[in-house]
Amino acid sequence: MTNLWLVTRRELRERGRSKGFIISSVLTVAILLGIILIPQALGGDAATFEIGAVGEGNEQIVEAARQFEAGLAADEETEPDVFEVTEFSTAEEGEASLRRGDVEVLLIDGTSAVVAQQGFGGNEVVDRLQQAAGASRLQELMAENEQVASEVVEVLSNDPLEVRSLSGPGSDNADSSVIAYAGLVLLYIAILTYGNTVLTGVTEEKNNRVVEVLLATLQPWQMLGGKVLGIGILGLAQFALTMAAAFAAIRITGVVSLPAFDLQTVGVLVLWFLIGFGIYAALYAAAGSLTSRTEDAQSAALPMTMLAVVGFFVSFSVLDDPSSLVARITTFIPFTAGFVVPIRNSLGAISWAEHALAVVVALGAIVLLVVLAARIYAGGLLRFGSRVRIKDAWRAGD
Amino acid sequence: MLHIHDLHKSYGAVKALDGCTFVANRGRMLGFLGPNGAGKTTAMRTIFGLVTPDQGTVTWDGVTVSHEERMRFGYMPESRGLYPKMKVFDQLTYFGRLHGMSGNEAGKAASELLERLGLADRAHDQTEKLSHGNQQRVQLAAALVNEPELLVLDEPFSGLDPIGVATLAEVLAERAEGGAAVVFSSHQLDLVEDLCEDVVIIRQGRVVQTGTVEEIKDASPVRHLEIELADGLAPGLDGLEEFVSAREGNRIYLQVPAEIDVRPLMSGALATGSVRRFVYTTPSLSEIFLQAVK
Repeated sequence: MTNLWLVTRRELRERGRSKGFIISSVLTVAILLGIILIPQALGGDAATFEIGAVGEGNEQIVEAARQFEAGLAADEETEPDVFEVTEFSTAEEGEASLRRGDVEVLLIDGTSAVVAQQGFGGNEVVDRLQQAAGASRLQELMAENEQVASEVVEVLSNDPLEVRSLSGPGSDNADSSVIAYAGLVLLYIAILTYGNTVLTGVTEEKNNRVVEVLLATLQPWQMLGGKVLGIGILGLAQFALTMAAAFAAIRITGVVSLPAFDLQTVGVLVLWFLIGFGIYAALYAAAGSLTSRTEDAQSAALPMTMLAVVGFFVSFSVLDDPSSLVARITTFIPFTAGFVVPIRNSLGAISWAEHALAVVVALGAIVLLVVLAARIYAGGLLRFGSRVRIKDAWRAGD
Repeated sequence: MLHIHDLHKSYGAVKALDGCTFVANRGRMLGFLGPNGAGKTTAMRTIFGLVTPDQGTVTWDGVTVSHEERMRFGYMPESRGLYPKMKVFDQLTYFGRLHGMSGNEAGKAASELLERLGLADRAHDQTEKLSHGNQQRVQLAAALVNEPELLVLDEPFSGLDPIGVATLAEVLAERAEGGAAVVFSSHQLDLVEDLCEDVVIIRQGRVVQTGTVEEIKDASPVRHLEIELADGLAPGLDGLEEFVSAREGNRIYLQVPAEIDVRPLMSGALATGSVRRFVYTTPSLSEIFLQAVK
C-alpha cells in the first residue's frame, strides 16, 4: 500500500507541477470562461433590429413582434430588443436601403419579406417576424369570437395531455437528465483525455527504460494502480476546477439558468464517473505496456477508444428509451454502464436492486480488469522494441 | 550471501539459463562474465523477480528472495532508465522511498551520495539536463541510495570515460569494504581482474568457471614463460622447443603445460649469468575467459 501511494504521489507531484498540466488547466478554464462571458459582454444590451416597410399591413406584424419581445424580456428580466421601422414609398427604394445595409429586412404589404441574402440557419429578424405574423393573423381570424380565441391561446401555450410516469411522482426530471447528459459528455471527454495520459505515461516509462529499475522493487499492479490513481485524481481536480469556474461564472452573470439538481443525481454521477474512468484507465495502462514507442501507443489503444465511442453512442438510445432491452443489457456491461446507468437513474428508470447489482458487477469488473491488465502489464513491460502481442505478454506475465 | 541455484529459463526454443549456479559473498566483489547472449542479464533479472525462472532458486542468507529482501538490494540494469523530467534529488529520494526508507532518510542518503559523486550542485536540475556521464552517475546513485546489502550492476562500466571508470570502481570497492556483496557483469576483463576477488564465467546459460581470480588462474592448464638473455646468448630449452609460441629478438615466449617443472630451465638460464628477463606466470583472465567460452 505504501508503494501504491508512493507511485500515486509521484504522479501527482511530477505531473501536477509540469508546465503541460498547468497550461492545459489554465487554458481550459480560460476557454470555458470565454465561452460563458464573451457573449454576455457582447450581447448584454438589447439588440436593435432595423426593419424597412413598403405598403400597408406591416405595422400589425411589427407590433406583434414587439409584444412577444416585451413578454420575453419581462420573463428574463432583460431590456427588450428594439424594432425600428423605416417606411419606404416604393419597393425599389426599400431594396436599395437593404443593399446598403441600412435595414436588415424589408417587409412588403404585410405578406412578404426580402433579405439581402439567405444565410445558413436562417435569420433572426425574419424568424421573429414570421412568428409575429402568424400570431397577428390568428388574432385577426378569431377577432369575432373571443371565447374561442382564449381557448386557442390556452391550447397552444400548454401541453394538452397530462403526463405521469409509472416510476412515480417527481416526473419533472428534465433538469436531472440535463445533468446526467452533461455528466455523460464529460465522462466521455475525461476517458479519452486522461485515458490517453495513462497510456502515454506507461509507454514513456517503458520508452525511457526506468521501468526495469522500478520493477525491481514495485509490483506491476502497484505501478499500474498508482498511475491510474494519480492521473485520475489530477484529472478529477482539473475537472472540478473547470466546473467550479464555469458554475461561478454562470451564477455571477446569470447568462443561463442552471438546471435544478438533487444530490442523489450528482452523487450517482460522480460514483459512475469514478467507476467508468477506473475501468478504461486500467485498459489504457495495459495497452500502453504493450508498446515502447509513443507512436505505436495510439494504435494499441484503438480498441479502448472504440469501446468508449460505442458506450457513448449507446447512451443516446438509452436517453430516448431508458427502459428498453438495450438499456437493461448495457447496464450490466462494465464498458457501457458508466454511460448508461447515470442516465437511467436521472430518468427514474432503474430500480435500486438493478442499480446496486450494476455497481457490484462494475466493481467486480474493475478488480478483474486490474488483475488481467497487471498481468499483461507485467508481461509487456520488459519487452522492448516492436509492439508486444497480447498473447505473448499474457504468457510472460505469470 | 547470495546463492543462485540451478536456474533454468527458456524462451521458446532458446535456453537462456541452463542450470546456472553460483554464490556471491558479502564484503567481496564478483565479476560476472560471459559472452553476449550467455544469460548474464537473465540471471541478474531473476534476482529481482523481473524474470520468473522455469526452475531453480535464488536465496539471500538462506532465505528465498522475495519482495522483502529486494528492498535491501540495489540494481543497475543494463538499459539505463531514469525519469528525464524529474529533478535529480527528487528522483533519488523517490527510489530510496521505494526501498522502504522514510522521506528524511532517503533525502539524507540522496544528498550524501550526490556529494560523494560530485553532483551536489546539480541536485535540483532536471535529470535530462545532465551530461551522459553525469546521468550514469545518477543511475549508480539510484542503485546505491538504500545502502544495499547486495548490489547488482549490469555492465556498469560501459560507456564511461577513464575518470568515470575510476570513480565507479572506487565507489564499488567502498561498498564491498562496507560489507555489501557486489556483483557486476563486464566485458572489460582487465578491470575485473584488478577489481574483483571472485569470478563467475557463464556460457550458454551454464556456469563454466567459478572461484577466486587466483584460483581460476592457477587452475589454468597453461603457463606463460618469457626468457631473455644478454645479446648473442640463447638459453637451452631442454626439450621445450615445441612450446615456443613466439620469438622477438632475444626474447622467447613459451606456453607450457602447467605441470611442467621449469626450475631446471631457470637454473640453466641463471647459470649463463646473463638473464635479463625470466617470467613464469599464469595466463590473464582474458585468455582464460576466451578459452572457457570457446
